[in-house]
Amino acid sequence: MLRIHDLGKSFGTTPVFDAVSLELRPGEFTALLGESGVGKSTLLNCIAGLDRADRGTVGINGTELGTLDDDGCARLRRQQLGFVFQAFHVLPHLMVAENVGLPLRLLGRPDERRVATLLADVGLANLGGRFPAQLSGGQLQRVAIARAVVHSPGLILADEPTGNLDPDTAERVLAVLRAQVSGAGAACLLVTHSAAAAARADRVLRLTTRGIVPSP
Amino acid sequence: MKPPAWLWPLMWREWRHHPWRHGVALLAVALGVALAFSVHLINNSALAEFSSAVRAANGAPDLTLRGPRAGFDDALFERVASDPAVDTASPVLEVDTHALSDSGSRVAVRVLGIDSLRVPAVALDLLPRPAAGEDRLVFLDPDAAFANPAARSQLGLADGAALRLQSGPGYLTTRLAGSVPVAGLPLLVMDLAAVQQRFGPAARLTRIDLRLAPGTDTATLLARLALPAGVQAVPTDAAEQRVSNLSRAYRVNLTVLALVALFVGAFLVFSVVSLSVAQRTPGLALLGVLGLTAAERRGMVLTECAVVGAVGSVIGLALGSAMAAAALRFMAGDLGGGYFPGITPALQFSLAGALGFGLLGTASAVVGGWWPARQAERIVPAQALKGLGSVDNSSPPAWPGLALLAAGAAAAFAPPIAGLPLAAYAAVAALLFGGVALVPAVVHALLVAVPTPQGALPLLAVQRARFQRRTATAAVAGVVASLALSVALTVMVASFRVGVTDWLGSVLPADLYARAAGSSSATEQAWLTPEFAQQAAAIVGVQKVQGSRNRLLQFAPDRPAVLLAARPLLPDGSSLPLLGAALPAQPGTMGVFVSEAMVSLYGARPGTALELPLGLPGNAGPVRALVRGVFRDYARQFGTVTMDAADYQQLTGDTRINDLALWLAPGADMASVQSALRALMPDPSLLEFAATTELRTLSLRIFDRSFAVTYYLQAVAIAIGLVGIAASLSAQVLARRKEFGLLAHLGLTRRDVVLVVAGEGAAWVAAGTLVGLALGVAISLVLVFVVNPQSFHWTMDLVLPWSRLALLCAAVLVAGVATAAFSARSAAGRSAVLSVKEDW
Repeated sequence: MLRIHDLGKSFGTTPVFDAVSLELRPGEFTALLGESGVGKSTLLNCIAGLDRADRGTVGINGTELGTLDDDGCARLRRQQLGFVFQAFHVLPHLMVAENVGLPLRLLGRPDERRVATLLADVGLANLGGRFPAQLSGGQLQRVAIARAVVHSPGLILADEPTGNLDPDTAERVLAVLRAQVSGAGAACLLVTHSAAAAARADRVLRLTTRGIVPSP
Repeated sequence: MKPPAWLWPLMWREWRHHPWRHGVALLAVALGVALAFSVHLINNSALAEFSSAVRAANGAPDLTLRGPRAGFDDALFERVASDPAVDTASPVLEVDTHALSDSGSRVAVRVLGIDSLRVPAVALDLLPRPAAGEDRLVFLDPDAAFANPAARSQLGLADGAALRLQSGPGYLTTRLAGSVPVAGLPLLVMDLAAVQQRFGPAARLTRIDLRLAPGTDTATLLARLALPAGVQAVPTDAAEQRVSNLSRAYRVNLTVLALVALFVGAFLVFSVVSLSVAQRTPGLALLGVLGLTAAERRGMVLTECAVVGAVGSVIGLALGSAMAAAALRFMAGDLGGGYFPGITPALQFSLAGALGFGLLGTASAVVGGWWPARQAERIVPAQALKGLGSVDNSSPPAWPGLALLAAGAAAAFAPPIAGLPLAAYAAVAALLFGGVALVPAVVHALLVAVPTPQGALPLLAVQRARFQRRTATAAVAGVVASLALSVALTVMVASFRVGVTDWLGSVLPADLYARAAGSSSATEQAWLTPEFAQQAAAIVGVQKVQGSRNRLLQFAPDRPAVLLAARPLLPDGSSLPLLGAALPAQPGTMGVFVSEAMVSLYGARPGTALELPLGLPGNAGPVRALVRGVFRDYARQFGTVTMDAADYQQLTGDTRINDLALWLAPGADMASVQSALRALMPDPSLLEFAATTELRTLSLRIFDRSFAVTYYLQAVAIAIGLVGIAASLSAQVLARRKEFGLLAHLGLTRRDVVLVVAGEGAAWVAAGTLVGLALGVAISLVLVFVVNPQSFHWTMDLVLPWSRLALLCAAVLVAGVATAAFSARSAAGRSAVLSVKEDW
């Protein structure tokens, strides 16, 4: 699903990461650890086509990102990627169900039943008609997870999804994320500082300035 | 609340960081203040100059006895002068005519006939100063004339030169024998007896200036004098008041127009400061976290606005003074109204005015900054630091907007205040602000009716527009205000133009018009004989002629004169542009028709009696006439009375005419007719012609030129409105950058993001356009039916040029959406994309 080969990125003369190679298979849940400033988020942006690497290649489901322009990358994200962020990032002016269903609408196939099922799966049944401001942090992150998987993407990128949550809520949210990823058969790259979160992954890797290495 | 002193460096750095942005706001305030202050200075300077000239020419009498413009019998003078309570009585005869300059051009002059032995006691400046070489008593010479500086400058004649003055269809010759030091318009002083003998019926005076014995009771004196009908004791400042009244409505309208510039400046401040607050939201939020209270944040923004306003005002006052000085020098104090012709006033700086306009400029900036200051106050630091913008989706209450609309509608029905449509202007302001306040409610009403779209982009645009409808007020307030003003001006100008076009068709029925040159300003001295009219009728190619005698009548000493036009009328008055049917003629009672201004200014409604101060010989007093109907007159805002020529001639014996209308036979050559008419004159240069088509074209050209400024005003207003949209949407794009970053993560292309923002903008601009159109039509009703009649005393029918209005609205809609799309570009930029992961 995701194939990264010899990826390198610098900001000016300051190298961020170098010689990053990684392969994720469908259904695989991988955690990526790393110290602050090592370039974890930059790596996610490069994987998503939101930032360009200086060298190396990124392939998603057989499509080489380097061959796509910005709009091509956007369309690829629309179809193949799902995102979960630390700050939830749900749209305040859309209701919960509309937030979740947005990727389907972007693909031109709105499906209210699928949205309702998914909301029930993440424990938010009957909350689809609410606005985000009426939900708690844990509920918002579950909305974000539902949105990330609603269109059955091949790859889910989760950037510190539990960073804003208390340990109990974080545990429940991770369980939901894990279940949804498995259910969808998607690959998931989870960037985290949390050892507890990493413990739920199939594989734990560490990003260093000299590439990705297995975490001890 | 006053911001803490340590915030000053932060504010200063913000200004240094965005000098252009704050420079634009400062410039807007400066221009608004400059325009308003320069209009104020020019008006005041011109009025002061005119008043001082009037004072110099009138002197400083304790009391003036003034008769009709045609004068009164000078027998009154002997009675007045011999009264023991009168120390000095100075008789004066005023004649308006033309003089020929050294280049042969005609110069309008006022000739004052005075008694040189009496005049020094009341008006020393009128005492003639003989030129070098002239006899000391030359002022008693009936051929001697003394010119003031304006007359000397415009006539270009040297002392001793022959001076030709128009009298009827010819010129009489006098001699320039010296000067009088009276400022103002061209003035000639001559011996009273000479003026009586040469210019008019002998033994007439137009005024007597009195110096009274100390302790004289004026009321007792007047009772004892038993002044004849038509002669009034007038206050010494009546002439100044008359001059002031002449241009008052025009000056007030100009000032209101200038204040619109300040209003526009306030909008620019609003737009610029909104953008600034949006950009600084994270910083303000951080300051909030560090302990700056909400009230202090508001105070900080308002202080910035006050500083911009104060500095802009100081620059504006300096600029306004320079503009006024330049205008006085190059436009001679006449701001296009034609009320102060021929004077070049000196700049009269007004400290109180400067203070007032300075405060107004500062206040406008503070008012413009109020909303963004409230936004800064309402910042929720936690939300703002997350880059989520405002989550307030409540709708502001509709009642303030509705209350303002109701107040505006009520004020539109109020009568004029001190003769000015002040309540109507308040109505326009209330309607404008009320309409702007109702924008969120209209957005809500419109979008509620729109079903929730299925497509992602329309869904995002519509839901966002619904959710943030409170913000819509800020975004489209400028468009609402500018479109409303544009629609109102378009409707008013179209109504006025159609009215004037119809009126011209009605008042110019003939093919050709001839008049004694200069008769528009000197009807008593520039006239044609009845024989001329008879001979004109006999010219080959002339089918019919109709003469008109025009005279100026002084109905009230403190108001400008009223025109009396005596010409053949149909029994039902149908040759006039009547408003409604005329009352039937009453046997034994003379009937007259009056313009609308006579109804407003003198209450001369149909069926009432009007006393005409014709100044008949023998002190017969005013003539009572029945007002039979009211007609439109767009040429004179201070009143016209029209009566049948036969009635006039029977009353006065005056058979002179000023204008001659000529109907030509089919195929007649107009040039030949004009040549033949000129040949009938002793001096052909004293005849002026105008063909009806020329008059009509010229009139409409003057009309269009007069209102050209309104088109520029509309363009500027709409541009400011668009700047408001651009600034407001740019501010939102900044405030919502993480939201747009998320959309990019979800797979929206740059074009998609631009479409979403443009879609939101389109929804708001569409609502703003609807409100602006409705508001503009409402304001146009106030302009057409209240402001115009109360300012200029004429009415017009409402004309709604729908095709032009539709084009205007479409242009605003397209420009607004394009502006929104332009503002949205940065929403799709990489910085927005990456802001999702900004460290917070």
